[in-house]
Amino acid sequence: MKTCLIVDDSRVVRKVAARIVKDLRFEVAEAGDGAEALEYCRKQMPDAVLLDWNMPVMNGLDFLRALRREEGGKKPIVMFCSIENDAEHVGEALRSGADEFIMKPFDAEILESKFAEVGLI
Amino acid sequence: MQDAVFNELADLALKGSGQAIPRSKSYLIEARLAPIARREGFGSLEDLVHCLKSRANPVFAAECAAALVSKDTWFFRDRDALNRLVTDILPARLKAGNTGRLKVWIAGGSTGQEAYSLAMMLEDDLPPALRGAKIEILSTDLCKSAVERARAGLYGHYEVQKGLSIHRLMKHFTRNDSGQWEISEILRSKVSFRQHNLLESAGGLGKFDVILCRNVLSGMDRSARSRVVDSLAAQLMPGGLILLGQGESLIGLTSQLEPSREFRGTWAAVDPNRTPVATSVA
Repeated sequence: MKTCLIVDDSRVVRKVAARIVKDLRFEVAEAGDGAEALEYCRKQMPDAVLLDWNMPVMNGLDFLRALRREEGGKKPIVMFCSIENDAEHVGEALRSGADEFIMKPFDAEILESKFAEVGLI
Repeated sequence: MQDAVFNELADLALKGSGQAIPRSKSYLIEARLAPIARREGFGSLEDLVHCLKSRANPVFAAECAAALVSKDTWFFRDRDALNRLVTDILPARLKAGNTGRLKVWIAGGSTGQEAYSLAMMLEDDLPPALRGAKIEILSTDLCKSAVERARAGLYGHYEVQKGLSIHRLMKHFTRNDSGQWEISEILRSKVSFRQHNLLESAGGLGKFDVILCRNVLSGMDRSARSRVVDSLAAQLMPGGLILLGQGESLIGLTSQLEPSREFRGTWAAVDPNRTPVATSVA
């Protein structure tokens, strides 16, 4: 079973996303900020990462850049998941190594469509 | 919903668009007519039916019938079929036609996502064999408001995240002040939209190399399906093809079309000079 790491400082968002991602037959891990997420990835690289932008301690963009520098850090498919969805933010996310970008709010159909888009399902 | 109300509205759908709405799906009628009922100030569907019966207003009746048809669609729905169209079918048609032009009709194109998906593919991944070809895409729908939305090329937050990658969204759309996403002028110039009821003659639309009629026939009653298929067949250029939705078939519906020998899963006009392909199910 593939693993998806959900990184968001909102427990509610993590819970909603986790339920949808589990339905897509992924094993789910959660992290409340970028630093926690990086710690998780150093132990075990997930197949996919759903990544919020604004978070305390370490934001999504800093996490993504750090992840891509880690050994094996190019492997996970990273999907940014943010309300900051103007062209500049999206462009910066993609240049920093994101594979997809999901604009919040999202629902199950959007997540499913985006997972299919990047070839995860 | 009372039987009388259901029967009136189901009959309206059948006559207006060929849609067969079973009693078990009366909730669809309520969901699809609610916005019109609200706008017109009807307290209930019963009032709406009463109005339809007491005042002959063909425009309003047609609007209600159109509203009863499913508008469900999304970008790159059935990507495999679109890929096949762009990489195999259109190049073959171009070669056969020898005019440098191709005409594609999307029959029952709802709010335009299928037409724009095709336009995007031709813009982003044009196969060398299609270079220089003039490709016209026409999308028609019976519902006036769907056609208007398609023509405006405006889509909401949820619509642009179903089937579209972020790369394509950023490349082909811009967000306007009201938060809607507007498709580029370039793509809009490649597609035209017209209101057309498939139950009526399509003679005015011209002839086409390829007709896509996907997920339209399956909701129709059998006689409407036959009628629509014959009218589609009449608009095929010699050698032209019809593509249906997944799991849809014309077997037993028409004597004018047969499975294409060249492209599996597509339908072509029966060639009187060849022995027919066996289509009967033993």
